[in-house]
Amino acid sequence: MKSPTLSPRQHRLHGASLFRSLKPLELKFVDGLMHERRYLKDEIIFDEGEEGQALYLVMSGRVQLSRGPEGSLRLQTELGPGSFFGDLALLDNSPRSAQARALDACEMAVFFRDDFLALMETDAVIGYKISLALARHIGQRLRFQLDGHAQLEAL
Amino acid sequence: MIRDEHTGPVVWTGIIGVTCLLLVLLEHMLWLVLPFIFGTMMYYMLLEPKQRLLRAGFSRDVATVLACALFFGTLALLALAVLSWTSAPGDDDNWRDSIGLYLDGGVAFVRNTMALLETKFPLLAEMRLTSVVNRYVQAYIDNFAQRYLASILVTVAGWLPSLLLAPFLAFFFLRDGLHFKKFLARAVPNAYFEHTLFLLHQVDQTARRYFEGLLKLTVLDTIVLGFGLWVIGVSSPLLLGFISAVLAWVPFVGSVVGCVMVVIVAATDAPSNPLVAYGAIVVFILARLLDDFVFMPLTLGRSLQIHPLVTVLMIFVGGTLSGVAGLMLVLPLLGVVMVVGETLGRLVTHPRLRARHRYARQLRDKQASADLKV
Repeated sequence: MKSPTLSPRQHRLHGASLFRSLKPLELKFVDGLMHERRYLKDEIIFDEGEEGQALYLVMSGRVQLSRGPEGSLRLQTELGPGSFFGDLALLDNSPRSAQARALDACEMAVFFRDDFLALMETDAVIGYKISLALARHIGQRLRFQLDGHAQLEAL
Repeated sequence: MIRDEHTGPVVWTGIIGVTCLLLVLLEHMLWLVLPFIFGTMMYYMLLEPKQRLLRAGFSRDVATVLACALFFGTLALLALAVLSWTSAPGDDDNWRDSIGLYLDGGVAFVRNTMALLETKFPLLAEMRLTSVVNRYVQAYIDNFAQRYLASILVTVAGWLPSLLLAPFLAFFFLRDGLHFKKFLARAVPNAYFEHTLFLLHQVDQTARRYFEGLLKLTVLDTIVLGFGLWVIGVSSPLLLGFISAVLAWVPFVGSVVGCVMVVIVAATDAPSNPLVAYGAIVVFILARLLDDFVFMPLTLGRSLQIHPLVTVLMIFVGGTLSGVAGLMLVLPLLGVVMVVGETLGRLVTHPRLRARHRYARQLRDKQASADLKV
């Protein structure tokens, strides 16, 4: 089968570490499952404590993740295009561990948890590649934490 | 969070009320509802093959066309195989002879039953029950072509275009279903987005579980009926069980037609022994009772995660409100309304989500009027 040409959006998706190992055909298939959302500057994407249903991939703009009670010193981190957050929501039903807020006007690609789980069941190869990328991402975060750096993307 | 909270009595009253209202409305749109149901069943059967073709590199359109072509091609081949298996070459009168044979068997069974009743109950003999029934049967047979055939043909002709909608619906569900889901999700404000995705997923799962439950029910019915008919010695018990189970998809009417069919075959198989036909009636009634009160609540009711008591009660409510259509539609409708009602009930009363939505609207208003200061 001929390798499909990727759209500009799919090229940007391919740039994200989560989907870098996917072949064009696989990426096209995954893109078909993802939703597009746009957020204004300062708009809340999700709250701390909310049940996570999806993973967010930043296509453009910046997102701030912050944790801790409002008004006090909050732990904060900033993510740019190509980054993703909310990945733990894909793996379990645990509540979001931080609040996500758009720092600029943002465009996001959203991967719904049940679509991801269905993909794992029906397409082991794509599921394996994404799971491996997720495992690497989580491992990297763990190493950072062990080194004493705070990381918040594990939402 | 939202998902684990229990739904209150107000929401449940609303769910039951909306289900009843929809039943009354849908009864008047049966021409669309039936093809929609069949189309949805085909959609769930073809979804997996289509996904496989997509992953094999075919485009969405080609994958959909191929999946549909394979399915309907296989169906056509099966139908051809059955036709060529049941009729010998050059034997065009085979079908007519078979139908005539079974009709004669059925009529003979009715007459024998009447005669038996007259001997057991002299009062019926005084009423000349046999001659009255014979007269009715004869009049029915004589006038069948003139009085009933035309109306049957008109009804079939009226339903055929509507039923032909089912493959078209299945095709477009397959081709555009995902786009429609995304289209719906796009219309939802950001604050409610994740919950709406969850809701759409739940509705999809509910419909899928219902149709899977229906298929399980068909298998159970086929086995129970087939076994019962095999015990009393009726020919082709499994085939008869399967046809009756499929007919039972339309509650009540389907069951009656299935019962008549089984009794006619039993009476024709053993014309000298009416006990076989009576046994077939008993088997059929037992199978239907098992189906309505055990299998259906356990398969369809459980598949929709509705309490068995509510399932049985709602079947009666559906029948009372909308007759046959109500019996057929009440469970899938209740399942979908339940999911939508429970989720919406929780979303609209969630103060944080409402506050976030208000805040996002203010941000949009502010952005839209940023350069419009007087």
